[in-house]
Amino acid sequence: MIEKFFTEAVLVGIIASGIRLATPYLYASIGETFGQRSGVLNLGVEGQMLLGAFAAFYVSLTTGNLWFGLLAAMLTGLIMGLGMAFVSINLQAVQGISGIGFYLFGLGLSDLLFQKLMGTVVTVSGFRPIYFPVLSDLPIVGQIFFNHNILVYGAYAMVFVAWFVLNKTTLGLKIKAVGESPEAADSLGVSVSKIRYLTISFGGMMSGIAGASLSIALLNVFQQNMTSGLGFIAVALVYFGGWRPIAVMGGALLFSMVNSLQLWVQVLNIPIPSDFAVMMPYVLTIIALVVTVQRVRPPSALTKPFERGH
Amino acid sequence: MSDSQLLPTGQKKINHLEMIEISKFFPGVIANNRVNFDVKAGEVHALLGENGAGKSTLMKVLYGLYPPEEGAIKLDGEQVVIGSPVDSIGLGIGMIHQHFMLVESLTVAENVALGLASTRGPLTDLDIVSQRIQELSEIYGLQVDPKALIWQLSVGQQQRVEIIKALYRGAALLILDEPTAVLTPQEVDEFFLTMRKMMDDGHALIFISHKLHEVLDISHRISVLRDGHMIGTIPVEGATKEKLAEMMVGREIGLKKERVSNEKSEKKLILKNISAQSDRGTPALKGIDLEVYSGEILGVAGVSGNGQKELAEVITGLRNVTSGQVVLEDEDVTGLSPKELINRSLSYIPEERMRDGMIKEFTVAENLILREYDQLPFANNGFLNLKNISTHSDEMIKSFNVKTPSQETTVKSLSGGNIQKLVLARELFRKPRTLIAAQPTRGLDIGAMEYVHLRLLEQREEGTATILISEDLDEILALSDRIAVIFEGEIMGIIDREEATTERLGLMMAGVVE
Amino acid sequence: MKKIQKTLAMLLLVVLMISACGGAENEATVVEVPADIFKVAVVMPSAINDLAFSQSMYDALLAIQADTGADSFEIVYSEGMFIVDDAAAAIRDYASQGFDLVIAHGSQYGSSLQEIAPDFLETSFAWGTTVDTFGLPNIFAYEARAEEGGYVNGVMATMLSESAVIGVVGPIETGDAKLYVDGFAVGAAATDAGTEVNTNWIGSFSDVALASEAAQTHIGAGADVLTGTAQMVVGAIGAAEENGALWFGTQSSQSSLAPSIVVANQVYRWEVVLEDMIDLIHGGTYGGQSFEITLANGGLVIEFNGDYALPADVQSAADATIAGIIDGSISVFP
Ligand SMILES: Nc1ncnc2c1ncn2[C@@H]1O[C@H](COP(=O)(O)OP(=O)(O)OP(=O)(O)O)[C@@H](O)[C@H]1O
Ligand SMILES: [Mg+2]
Repeated sequence: MIEKFFTEAVLVGIIASGIRLATPYLYASIGETFGQRSGVLNLGVEGQMLLGAFAAFYVSLTTGNLWFGLLAAMLTGLIMGLGMAFVSINLQAVQGISGIGFYLFGLGLSDLLFQKLMGTVVTVSGFRPIYFPVLSDLPIVGQIFFNHNILVYGAYAMVFVAWFVLNKTTLGLKIKAVGESPEAADSLGVSVSKIRYLTISFGGMMSGIAGASLSIALLNVFQQNMTSGLGFIAVALVYFGGWRPIAVMGGALLFSMVNSLQLWVQVLNIPIPSDFAVMMPYVLTIIALVVTVQRVRPPSALTKPFERGH
Repeated sequence: MSDSQLLPTGQKKINHLEMIEISKFFPGVIANNRVNFDVKAGEVHALLGENGAGKSTLMKVLYGLYPPEEGAIKLDGEQVVIGSPVDSIGLGIGMIHQHFMLVESLTVAENVALGLASTRGPLTDLDIVSQRIQELSEIYGLQVDPKALIWQLSVGQQQRVEIIKALYRGAALLILDEPTAVLTPQEVDEFFLTMRKMMDDGHALIFISHKLHEVLDISHRISVLRDGHMIGTIPVEGATKEKLAEMMVGREIGLKKERVSNEKSEKKLILKNISAQSDRGTPALKGIDLEVYSGEILGVAGVSGNGQKELAEVITGLRNVTSGQVVLEDEDVTGLSPKELINRSLSYIPEERMRDGMIKEFTVAENLILREYDQLPFANNGFLNLKNISTHSDEMIKSFNVKTPSQETTVKSLSGGNIQKLVLARELFRKPRTLIAAQPTRGLDIGAMEYVHLRLLEQREEGTATILISEDLDEILALSDRIAVIFEGEIMGIIDREEATTERLGLMMAGVVE
Repeated sequence: MKKIQKTLAMLLLVVLMISACGGAENEATVVEVPADIFKVAVVMPSAINDLAFSQSMYDALLAIQADTGADSFEIVYSEGMFIVDDAAAAIRDYASQGFDLVIAHGSQYGSSLQEIAPDFLETSFAWGTTVDTFGLPNIFAYEARAEEGGYVNGVMATMLSESAVIGVVGPIETGDAKLYVDGFAVGAAATDAGTEVNTNWIGSFSDVALASEAAQTHIGAGADVLTGTAQMVVGAIGAAEENGALWFGTQSSQSSLAPSIVVANQVYRWEVVLEDMIDLIHGGTYGGQSFEITLANGGLVIEFNGDYALPADVQSAADATIAGIIDGSISVFP
């Protein structure tokens, strides 16, 4: 039974599909990392993804241009992010609840638009895997690393951009300061609301791209509620990753690889009940992170609205 | 004083800053009532007043953190509008806050660089910042490691970071809100050297302190606030402690209580060969042996950062020991949780009271019952008895003279000293059998300080075993029966009160073994 | 000022919520209608156009309406009710509004229905897919013998598979999904015992991404023919199309999604049993019976995709199998 596992095809399959599956999580959770690092919890990621997925799909379908679709998803996410920023910064609303509000809004609106504008499930021809001369043809390595579409590579690039911004730039310093001690940042002339507007609308944009990566790159369809909780898992990955982009990527990869592993477990008829198999990614991810990652404190000001003088 | 119009940092001097008829109201409180205040280049202008008198508020108005209800600010004769710290920093005003404005999870250099333009555009230039920090710390004698994380630093070290932060920004006018409250006598001396250097360079300095001898030592002029009103401004020549105290309080203070000799009876708390690590993982305590008797105050003197914090935390269950034993009332309590120790009538007045002692978003009344919220008379079968809680709060507020609009006010809007009083009220009310008090009077005005001393001595007479951790040698000498000196995690020696002198203690604090 | 802000924030949230619910439920407003109109309400877990389970019911109701005319047959629906509590609230709502028949289209709604139905004895309820009426006089149960079409699809799939590996993507191992998948495997084994049928239960009815990945896993394991059930399979169909694998559908026709690779679909025609129920209701019987759709009663239909050129031998084998199941000479689960 088990020896079936250690064939090249299976291992390559698991890794390649893990890398692919992690894409939407990466966009969404990297965006969320920025928001949370600056002290704002956005639980509306799922809604932003759904609207982004729809916008990307619909615009690609009607214009025939995938880049327009991607742009539409970014804009949609950005607008949703600005809304979330307004509610949590200007109106100082309770972040958890308003996030859920935005989730329901995105869920409902994307479905409504889908009904009104499309009526039925159709497909679009999405981003194709990029062909790298020589590299893509390499055995094993080619299949694992050089056989993905542009949005998959974009996701991993964003992880390193995020790491760089947070650790090497003055902007990153401001973001971290605002999330840890908005009073201190404010007393040095850093505008807390400006930084938070920036991170949350950026997060919205990233969620929009996450949605697009599903609807016009990985699946090439749009369906009601197609994200199916993925946005919430992305939020959880931010916690598991201890608010650090690289660790968040580790979590996303682990989760996705175990997910693709459990698919293989079933396909290879390894006698584990399917109910347990589908739990594997959740259980193993939690165990692995509990064991390997030392607990990190969340940003001190997370979920706390800032008002000068308090 | 140099005559140039520029400071050594290249910043333009602020020759004369005036605050005119400033008023600031909070719900239920007039924090500043038509206050006039001014400061000139090359002088130290001290601001005095009881806890809650409105000193910090006035300074926050100047720094742009609070918009005033009325009044004007003039800089070198011209009216300026200071709407936010961006404006004040731009005008050359720097502030060192009573409660540090530091990002704990960031490094010293990152805290200094925060909000400043970098020489590398969007990228940080922490190496350059670190270099400049080194320079500044050499000029002004402020030793600090630019790479250290703030939360790993002692309070005194954090203070230095705050000063460097302001100097780095080329502040020409520096507001120092109780900077010495956290410093040891030696550090105060060094700090005064720094201040004098800045003064000579032509900085304008505003200095807030509750320690009258410091004020008399360093200031040119002294202003006193009482209940939001400016009582008066006098030159240092001719000022005396008595006169200042009377201006502050409006009456003479005379709460002094004499220490009576006390039979020390059974051993309450024994530390056997305790070792523990600091947050950084370096050894902080190295084989500490201490015994405290009931009815005794054991003073622990030492420069901050020599293991005092770890010592208090080990005893109160907040930190694990790497070896050794804590024995409380003949029982091994090593490794017990804080809650279990509280139940054994152990109280703790933490050094970082804003962080460890209070929940800022809770009201005064709620904070006062944080420890016994689930016990009679405050709760019965899981229900809070609001009436008892309210009566209790009123009593505490009255006896500790806490200035608060009401017991429903959230703690975050109280003045610094009044927050301290609340922690003390809560911890001392319990009449603990064992008490660990870390810097219990830091930041308190003289009236409140005398009151706390009185309460500590009363507790002593009732048989409480107290460890008093303090850098204030006057306080240690006034209250302790025996004095232990801690240096680099080791006890340098324990001497009786009668044999102790400031000089002898000072030497031991510097690591000279008896 | 702060109060005003907080109020504003709450208001904004309420508006958001309302707009969200409006989108999710898409409830038609009920107008006063003459008594001779038959009013049906249906609560469904996914969208009416999911190309699967929910759409099969919606299409059936539309078919009846086309027969009887819109003025005497009114349809109201709540779709996307994947949260059972929301569905229960909708069911109760419809019942109290005096609908003649309230359909709870999803086996997960059973326990809610069991609680609600006794309160509305003048209203007829139907739920599926199941055979259980809870012994209540106003609940009809309906079920699809999905294994029949599964068997037929299994026969065709085995004949068309060159690699002799077939992949199946299912949601959760229960209900008509399990019947279909089991029937498919039996059909495949009856045709060629050497063909490997691998099944993947992904644990979700809505996770399109995982369904797609499951399909790719099957293809990676050598499958060249795939099938699957429930609404999330649209992801799997996309993956199949991209990799040139053949697809067999069930519940609704999925040919439109990928005309070049969909071979055939088992289509549910719920109107067959719905019409029986409606007749009973007119006659004063509000429930207590269970129905099933089968190849024999025309409730299940194998629909061949005209765009796919099916080899003649496969076509005739399929026809023979269908006939065999109808006349009883083939029994799927002996
Ligand atoms: N943000 C705030 N909201 C409401 N009331 C406040 C706020 N800040 C200060 N106060 C009140 O204003 C008064 C003056 O406080 P302030 O902090 O200026 O006192 P202080 O003179 O600095 O006292 P201390 O010596 O204790 O630091 C106090 O009664 C305090 O409760
Ligand atoms: Mg103050």
